[in-house]
Amino acid sequence: MNDLLLLLGSTVVLGSPLVLAAMGGLLSERSGVMNIALEGKMLAAACLTAVVSSSTGNPWAGVAAGVAASVTLSLVHALVTQHFKADHIVSGMGINALAAGGTSLLVKGVFDREGAAAPVFLPVAAYWVTALVAVLYLVWYLTRTRGGIRLMAVGNSPSKSRQMGLDPLRIRIVSLLAAGLLCGLGGCLIASNAGSFTDGMTSGRGFIALAALILGGWRPLPALAGCLAFGMTEALQLQLQGTLLLGVAIPTEAWNALPYLATLVALLFRKGRGGGPASLGVN
Amino acid sequence: MTVELHDITVRFGDVVALDGVSFVADQGKIHALVGENGAGKTTLMRVLYGAVVPDAGTIHVAGSRVSFRNSGEAIAAGIGMVSQHYSVIPELTCLENLILGAEPGWALHRGATIQRARELAAKMGYEFDWAASADRLGPAGSQKLEILKLLWRGSRTMILDEPTAMLSPADSEGLFQSLRSLADQGATVIVVTHRLPEVLQHCEQVTVLRGGKQVGAQPVKNLEAASLAELIVGQQVQARNHGSAIPGEPVLEVVGLRAKGYRGDWAVDGADLTLHEGEMVGLAGVDGNGQRELFHALVGTLPSEGTIRFRDEDWSGQGTARRIADGLRLVPEDRHEEGAVDSWSLVENSILGLQRCPGPARAAWLDRTQATAIAQRVTERFATRHGGLDYPISSLSGGNQQRFVAARALEMSPKLVLAFQPSRGLDIRGSEDVFAAIRSECRAGATALIASFDLDELLSQCDRVVVMSRGKIVAPPRGAEMDRSAIGKLMTEVE
Repeated sequence: MNDLLLLLGSTVVLGSPLVLAAMGGLLSERSGVMNIALEGKMLAAACLTAVVSSSTGNPWAGVAAGVAASVTLSLVHALVTQHFKADHIVSGMGINALAAGGTSLLVKGVFDREGAAAPVFLPVAAYWVTALVAVLYLVWYLTRTRGGIRLMAVGNSPSKSRQMGLDPLRIRIVSLLAAGLLCGLGGCLIASNAGSFTDGMTSGRGFIALAALILGGWRPLPALAGCLAFGMTEALQLQLQGTLLLGVAIPTEAWNALPYLATLVALLFRKGRGGGPASLGVN
Repeated sequence: MTVELHDITVRFGDVVALDGVSFVADQGKIHALVGENGAGKTTLMRVLYGAVVPDAGTIHVAGSRVSFRNSGEAIAAGIGMVSQHYSVIPELTCLENLILGAEPGWALHRGATIQRARELAAKMGYEFDWAASADRLGPAGSQKLEILKLLWRGSRTMILDEPTAMLSPADSEGLFQSLRSLADQGATVIVVTHRLPEVLQHCEQVTVLRGGKQVGAQPVKNLEAASLAELIVGQQVQARNHGSAIPGEPVLEVVGLRAKGYRGDWAVDGADLTLHEGEMVGLAGVDGNGQRELFHALVGTLPSEGTIRFRDEDWSGQGTARRIADGLRLVPEDRHEEGAVDSWSLVENSILGLQRCPGPARAAWLDRTQATAIAQRVTERFATRHGGLDYPISSLSGGNQQRFVAARALEMSPKLVLAFQPSRGLDIRGSEDVFAAIRSECRAGATALIASFDLDELLSQCDRVVVMSRGKIVAPPRGAEMDRSAIGKLMTEVE
């Protein structure tokens, strides 16, 4: 019984960053902007929130800095894909690389010095509530508001939307800003869960969130379910580490690979791009 | 609300698309805008709709001078446009499509909005399942939804670009009845069309464009088809005299063909068809009776049951590549989806599907020189206007793309030409050329099956006409092979 409660608790803890990132990804991709940069945005946010809260001692300043970093990267993505019409994947790869290298450099400069204060974080429950509210808000937003149907329309066909008098560029920029905000919160949460920042600490969670989004057909509730399922595999592998499977000791590294393996298997069972925005990645 | 465009000039780079064109449409009338492909009809209408900003010229709406920087401003001024390919977004529901861009408020009050949508539809005599996804709407449903979209936006000037291109004759008739009632209620209706019978039957005023210039504007009353056609092409169109085919041996034998449509029902349900060498056969029928699936089954892109034999080859178990090697050529229904790769050059597109045939193919490599020669022939056959063979096919206008795709199907000694609405989007001369070229291939020993929703076109161009109805192919009774009313009865299943 205790094991089960622990598992469910860990699922929420480990799933929430995925949910925040997936909802950010949903806004971006529904507007037609492919976003593999979720990972880089979360990493940048995790780093900045740790660095700034450590140097100021103010958790709010940390969150603000983390979110600002993520939103800035989102704007870079908007500029590169929308203004310079570059390939969305290439832009996303660039942002991920920039975030990985930039955070690594920054952390060496800040924490390797003597006397750096430990970062301070907001209570993680605040993020859980935010994640849940974001999902419910998006469910309502996509089908019941003017902005929602315009978002869906632009992701399906920017040219048809323009014909209906919409401004696809504006809608995409706003969506990317919101995506930056949500990913930023996801990154802050990852750092908060760990209590500090370590190099490359998001370890592919941005991509797992993207997988959950795709598995969920770019819809909020199924994507939420996907994120929690992945969160649960992660929780499961933490609990199972060190136990014997059929009398054989499984190395920790193999258990660590479980969430990624689950992602791969789940994606195998999803065929085609059904349900996705028709103009995803099209400028 | 009268709209007036005066001395409109539009340049795209070095090309002058419109050269000082004037156009006036009066309130309460249906106005036709006609002309050949590339004459500038769509561009002119896009100027009025704010989607193209003219280099020179003035626009007046209801007497006051306006200048639109984008479509949003034109919509606000009461101008609405339905483009040829519709702007219905399949991901949204019918209701969401209706209100997109003109939502009543920040939050959607579905109950109240559906109520208003129902009232609007009832005025036009339409019925919609407003909560249903729009991806199940056929062409006729999409067209009706587009008209309701105009009404929802309070458009008083309505531009319809080739509105009947994808409609069956009955639906076209219904469309014009709707347009008539809108005009009677004070709307200004502008119809861009290729079909002269529509102009003569339903429109009051006609403006003719030729080569980017306005060459005529007059009332339709007392206007004759021949003189209108002459105005459009600039020369007398010759009366048709094809000579008749002497059919040879049976070459294509289809027995008991069955194929499933996308809904999972048997769209082709036991079709039998025999085509002879040298004949050009029309496939008539109301849209959605399995014509599309029959074509796909014959091409080999849709799994089918039953037998398909072509010149002693059993095609049933053969893939598309083998059928092409045996001489199958296709003018597909949707050139964007099935006929061309938009971003590829004309050279690459000219051998698309033919890449394994001797000529462009040399062992495992493609012969660029041969491909360029083929592209040259393809573009010359129907005088496709292009800016260079290395430009992507998407740089061509719609009509020129159609010419290109049709010409490609006649390359490299075709034996069986399957053409689905080969004249789609073509003007009179263009479609005459395409049919004449197919005919001459048939006289040289090929066989052609041509599907169209325009029965008159089939009757005037083909050697005989069969009808597809509910997945089966029926031939008109002996002696009435080309009898319009007999075929019409088969199409509409009137006993």
